[in-house]
Amino acid sequence: MRLADRLHEWLHPRMPDCVLCGQSIGRNASGPLPVRDAFFRRILREGLCGSCLGWIPWILTIACPICGRPDRCGDCLRRPNRPFVRSRGAVRYDDAMKELLALYKYRGLEKLEPILAAMLSAAVEPMLSEMRFDAVTAVPIAERRLEERGFDQAERIACAVAERYRIPFRPLLKRTRHTGKQSFKGRRDRIEDMKGTFAAIEPPPALGQASRALPFPQSGPRILLIDDIYTTGSTMAECSAALRQAYPNGEIHGAVWARS
Amino acid sequence: MKAMVYLWQKKNGEVEARFSVDWEACERMEITREDGRTVCWLREPMPLGIAEESCRLFNFAGKRGDSRTPDQRAMSLRQSAESAWDAAGEKGVSVLVTSRSEGEREKNAEWRKANETEWEVLSAAAEQAGACLQGRSLLREEAMAMLAKALPTLREREPLQALQLSALRGAVRLAAAIAPRAAGSAGSRRRQGLRCRRCGSGEERMRRTRCASCGRSGCAVCEACAALGRSRECELLVLGAEQPGTALAALPPAFEDRWGLSPAQRSAAEAAYRFLRAVGEAPASIAVEPCQPLACSQHLATQALRLLRRMLASLALTSGRSSHADHPARSFLLWAVTGAGKTEMIFPLLDAVLRAGGRALIATPRRDVVLELAPRLLKAFPDVRQAVLYGGSEDRWTNAPLTIATTHQLMRFQHSFDLVLVDELDAFPYHNDPVLHYAADKARRRHGATVLLSATPPAKLRQRIRRGQAGCARVPVRYHRHPLPVPQRLSLPPLSKLVQRRELPRALLAPITVSVRRGAQVFVFVPYIKHVLPVVGLLRRAAPALGIRTEEIAGTYSSDPERASKVQDFRQKKLRLLVTTTILERGVTIPKSDVFILGAHQSTFDDASLVQMAGRAGRSADDPFGRVYFGSPYLTLSQRQACRQIRAMNRMARRRGYLRQEGERA
Repeated sequence: MRLADRLHEWLHPRMPDCVLCGQSIGRNASGPLPVRDAFFRRILREGLCGSCLGWIPWILTIACPICGRPDRCGDCLRRPNRPFVRSRGAVRYDDAMKELLALYKYRGLEKLEPILAAMLSAAVEPMLSEMRFDAVTAVPIAERRLEERGFDQAERIACAVAERYRIPFRPLLKRTRHTGKQSFKGRRDRIEDMKGTFAAIEPPPALGQASRALPFPQSGPRILLIDDIYTTGSTMAECSAALRQAYPNGEIHGAVWARS
Repeated sequence: MKAMVYLWQKKNGEVEARFSVDWEACERMEITREDGRTVCWLREPMPLGIAEESCRLFNFAGKRGDSRTPDQRAMSLRQSAESAWDAAGEKGVSVLVTSRSEGEREKNAEWRKANETEWEVLSAAAEQAGACLQGRSLLREEAMAMLAKALPTLREREPLQALQLSALRGAVRLAAAIAPRAAGSAGSRRRQGLRCRRCGSGEERMRRTRCASCGRSGCAVCEACAALGRSRECELLVLGAEQPGTALAALPPAFEDRWGLSPAQRSAAEAAYRFLRAVGEAPASIAVEPCQPLACSQHLATQALRLLRRMLASLALTSGRSSHADHPARSFLLWAVTGAGKTEMIFPLLDAVLRAGGRALIATPRRDVVLELAPRLLKAFPDVRQAVLYGGSEDRWTNAPLTIATTHQLMRFQHSFDLVLVDELDAFPYHNDPVLHYAADKARRRHGATVLLSATPPAKLRQRIRRGQAGCARVPVRYHRHPLPVPQRLSLPPLSKLVQRRELPRALLAPITVSVRRGAQVFVFVPYIKHVLPVVGLLRRAAPALGIRTEEIAGTYSSDPERASKVQDFRQKKLRLLVTTTILERGVTIPKSDVFILGAHQSTFDDASLVQMAGRAGRSADDPFGRVYFGSPYLTLSQRQACRQIRAMNRMARRRGYLRQEGERA
């Protein structure tokens, strides 16, 4: 590097470029963010430019108290028994988000990981303000897919969130069989297909229970289950059912990055 | 992914370390081979990059006369593996060696007997895999997709087994996608770091992440070529063999022109043709891959040699080009002014190479150019098979003698083409991107040549030409043989001031009015997208004074959804005045047009971009004298250089007598 370039860089520090569009990020990117945590806010502000941040379809009003859908939701009414208490999504799964997730999951752009985790925190934070969790866990991906892809996206973002909010991350689930890609299937197929796909790890690891120290302790552990997308809820339901078997008095809450 | 490392003893007693991505296939293969046997292997599979490095270390030690006993060899293999781990940054990993027992050989032989048909299928598949991967450089996933298309009957692991078999037979080479860091040179300043084998990027473009497929916590991923799939330290890169034969040596001596080139085009194309023939006669170049690090003394020697050679080369500049006879440059620049008719000039070159049985590639930065070029070439060479490659194209896995591709697709080739034509090498993705230059060099065969096309070659290339490291032929005149319009300067306040003042000065409006009156289409270039709409507004306000209707003025920019239709309207004269950014600086030909560049002093407009924009004017024979204006508050180096380049080309054209004489008719 020439001396002049170095001097220039020193006098005029470059802002990092937006990880999505590659444009340089303006000094005063503003606009509201539904994330309170300072660390995650900084990741979003410094990772994305103003216009890319503007594209994020945050879920700000919740219409379905169960699955956290922003519109009226028939699915949850139809579902007779639901093993999880509730689930919350951070963003709507629109085309822009679809592209973002594809970049991370299929193209393997792992630099997007902190951004996705920061976005997920928008779903986790409101829940944390109401209650505390004893463990965070993630929906696992199939062994073979893990080997191909090299990483488990749900686990990665769950770990990042767990670390930031100081909740222990515990792998509690495993896949018992390989299913095809979910994105090619219809609703009924998905629900049928998911049955018996997940099981809790044997023997279930003991979870420390913070609420035992409180005057009115809960009966079982409270677990936050994290996944990338919630479409029909079949994955969430299956995983929660498996967790409930392992922790009979447990309470399972879900948090997903995108609610479609 | 992980690979097994094993020692292979050849018939003549030599021992070699190898790695295998499909151990089962290797084991079963062994029985059929008479030329050697497996001696021992490392018990645990290792991440691919580390496995490769261990093999290199073991084999390197063995090169200097191998007199090790079997036990010593096993020990040495262990040590190699451990130092490979060490070099990868993971200290204190210990590995275990397992020796081959006779029982296993028998078991494999039994398996072979029981599954003869399955074996035959796999064996045939391996042969086909080797054939269709020729000249390719593909990641595992890409190779699997290609094999799935070529051999749809294979299931699950079989494609990988076929690849491994094919590698054992030498038809393809398997390697880690990122060349591992060389062990043993730790601490030295010249230590060779990781390098992506697909795009040539160094460690500074990589990110280390936890990887579930090799189990390492710091497996490097190349981010420079992430757009074409993930190249990582433990990922498999499949390199096809180079096709035999040299097409360039078989070129006919006479240059043939069936396309009616103008004298200037013809002489440049002939120069390029002479260059191709010279390359064809010269020995093959050294592979582009970074050579294996040598032992220290050897390393110094090569350094000294290289220095000496460079000194000789600089001497040779003054005393003819004697030293270039044995080291010919493999790239040649066709420096043709805007509107010179570059495409026609490459036809004779393509024709000669294709007829000599060679493979040719045309790389261009933009997809629309690829799509426009393909039918033209199909018309010119109706009996030649084409592969048209761009993101999401159907021909992705087709091998054809004539390939037209966007520049990124080049990364999927290695030693594949006799002639690589790179169009507009200074345009957006090529500009300042070493990755694509590396890819273009890699796609060329060792006996091949590269021809670069540009109207505005970057300074570095011009320097190389001055030093004689690359050949060059200039086409200083347009096909209609009129000089290029030389830009005139308009002294204008900066754009932001104009927008603030909400008024355009007379100094700008007057020449635009003249252009409109003479019936020309008007390009107005502005440096930033944010200026497009305000300038359109200002011009619309001044429309009555300019003598056009307000709806005949429009603006467009890269993210404009109506961009294509606006350009179309501009072509059809439905729009008379188009305000735009640098996106339209190339590739747009409007018969009768004038160019106004506002904010020409801004740094987004470098000299190349100014020359290109000026090149939009006067392109047709009917209206060869377009007008070009640089509007800026002060003159910058870029503006001066752009004018100087244009004048120099005009001077050269005049000197060589290419320009049309006064009163001469076409």
